[in-house]
Amino acid sequence: MKSVIRVSCGILIALTFTLFEAEKTNAEYGDIVMNNYSAKAEMRPVVFPHWFHRIRFQCKVCHADLGFKFQAGGNEINMLKIIDGEYCGACHNGEIAWAIENCNLCHSAKPGTPTQVHDSTIQKLVAPTFATDKQSKQ
Amino acid sequence: MILNTKMTSFMSLMMMLCVCLSAKAAKNGQAIVKENCAPCHETGVMEAPKMGSKSDWEPRLKQGYRNMVKRAVDGYKNMPAKGGNPLLKPEEVAMAVDHMLVKAGLVETDQPTTDKKSATDKKPPTKKVEKDATKAIVKAVKKKPKKTANSFNRLMKSKSDWNPPPQEDGIHDPDNESTYMLQTPREAFSDIDKNPFGNHVDWVKALNKGLIDPRFDRLDPEKSGILMDLNIIREVKGSMPDVVYPHKQHTQWLDCSNCHPSIFIPQKGANSISMASILMGKQCGVCHGKVAFPVAECRRCHSLPKQKTDLAR
Repeated sequence: MKSVIRVSCGILIALTFTLFEAEKTNAEYGDIVMNNYSAKAEMRPVVFPHWFHRIRFQCKVCHADLGFKFQAGGNEINMLKIIDGEYCGACHNGEIAWAIENCNLCHSAKPGTPTQVHDSTIQKLVAPTFATDKQSKQ
Repeated sequence: MILNTKMTSFMSLMMMLCVCLSAKAAKNGQAIVKENCAPCHETGVMEAPKMGSKSDWEPRLKQGYRNMVKRAVDGYKNMPAKGGNPLLKPEEVAMAVDHMLVKAGLVETDQPTTDKKSATDKKPPTKKVEKDATKAIVKAVKKKPKKTANSFNRLMKSKSDWNPPPQEDGIHDPDNESTYMLQTPREAFSDIDKNPFGNHVDWVKALNKGLIDPRFDRLDPEKSGILMDLNIIREVKGSMPDVVYPHKQHTQWLDCSNCHPSIFIPQKGANSISMASILMGKQCGVCHGKVAFPVAECRRCHSLPKQKTDLAR
């Protein structure tokens, strides 16, 4: 009985902690940060704002026609693919949307932010939310 | 090596000096206009009010000086925020506006009142009010909402925290100049019906009202998809109302292949769905809880009340 109480207390504390962590960012629902390769290349991680894109395109344009998987960081997008016209490069080519020379418009996240979907249910419940203060100061 | 470090420190000193000097020069309204505003306002491109043109500036001033400065600071129509230079302070933007009003002959001078005593006599009395207004705007732009004991609620964001501009959202780097070029969600959502959850807007309403017109095809804005108007009713355990799944609202955004067959087997009764798996980002949770409205809005899915006889069983 005691152990059950102990475990449930632990879970409660962990949950409150993650909730407090989640409060640190005020990012737009569905904003995705991608940091597969950016940090290693000494670039800021990429922020993909879902809200901005869904005003202009239906979900199926990217997720069916262009083959984006429904998983943050799961598409292994790199600049070579984009230059070849795959993924972001299908539109960000200077014809449909602005071209790739505007590096910092995408690579605009705080350095050290890990790959994640911001404000998502999973983020609030379990996953680590944001680079801790220590990391963001570095 | 030592020489090298000396050189670099000398260089950095020089650069700092340059920065200081340029900062000092920027205090002048004319200089601010020349550096930041002239490219558009000199020529009047993209419907910018032309410098020195009284007819361009007068109707704008009539809408209120405060309003003008606020639009110049926040951006308005083709005008980027702070003329596209995020390093400008709001008071410097106001100085630039003052200077252009002087050029248009609508205000007599943009010098501070203390500088020229003779000028103060000639000045219209409104000028003092305008200066106070500038201060008020600067204060309003800089002011952060005050947190009180009652505003504490760790699970809820207050309305003033909804849709913050990128530089304040906690994930964009405020030290990145391009961050300030991005569209702010508040501007994009200004006409759309509000909603307590998610992006704080009702996307389906926005689409049905024609407030947004997302393309079906990447290249062709005219193409449109075929809608499937078929509701699937899922009876649920417990006392929650049954789930009505509308194909219509989903095919407004998605292609069949997005969900079938990888996420849902297209066969009645073949998919066992639970709230636990949805919360963990499976099935409906692939989108709901990430980009589509979150599970907090229970009744948008659980919308068909059970028959009383069902409950009695």
